[in-house]
Amino acid sequence: MADEPLIWTSKGNLPIASLEYTHAWDETPEYLKFSETYLLDGEIVKQSAHVYVKQGAQAQPEQGTF
Amino acid sequence: MSNTAAVCTSFKVDQLNGIHAFGTTVTRGSTAADTFKAALYFASATLGASTTAYSTTGEVTGTGYTAGGVTVTNATAPTSSGTTAYWTPSGNFAWTTMTASAFDTVLLYNSTQSNKAVAVYTFGSQTVTASNFTLTMPANAAGTALLQLA
Repeated sequence: MADEPLIWTSKGNLPIASLEYTHAWDETPEYLKFSETYLLDGEIVKQSAHVYVKQGAQAQPEQGTF
Repeated sequence: MSNTAAVCTSFKVDQLNGIHAFGTTVTRGSTAADTFKAALYFASATLGASTTAYSTTGEVTGTGYTAGGVTVTNATAPTSSGTTAYWTPSGNFAWTTMTASAFDTVLLYNSTQSNKAVAVYTFGSQTVTASNFTLTMPANAAGTALLQLA
């Protein structure tokens, strides 16, 4: 019999099959975010997020005029 | 031919390389590259253009997060394209097996130069529980680089 896959959570290692899984995307002009959530009986026990920075910060120096 | 008033692009790159010092006193003694760090802040913090240096006020606390944040991997020298000078770290910012709630900001700062602030980036409020948080760097190009002098 194959071992049941476990996943690390705030309540220790739990069988991944016992958890409810959701994910979400959030996109703006500046970033794209992907988050994953695992719930156990409605309680979040694992949540990760990965943000892709699409555009950094820009400064625009201006020269003076005479 | 004619002349065109402009801030020289080479000067913008020089700024990113710490070449020019307009101050009336010498404020920089080292010729070595600086170390930069990235710290996370709660959505309730008030970082922005007026931020001058890293502070623990409003900084994320939680399991797996160390005050001060992570060291930025920097193997890419500033460069330019067109009239924009730019720089992007060569590595992503990553925190592993961390638990923290409602944070939305990362502060890039210079830990070599008295923790002086460089830039503030926001990404929408996020909670992480017993897992990873990653900030993947943008393409290192004019218009997208993490830090740009246009």
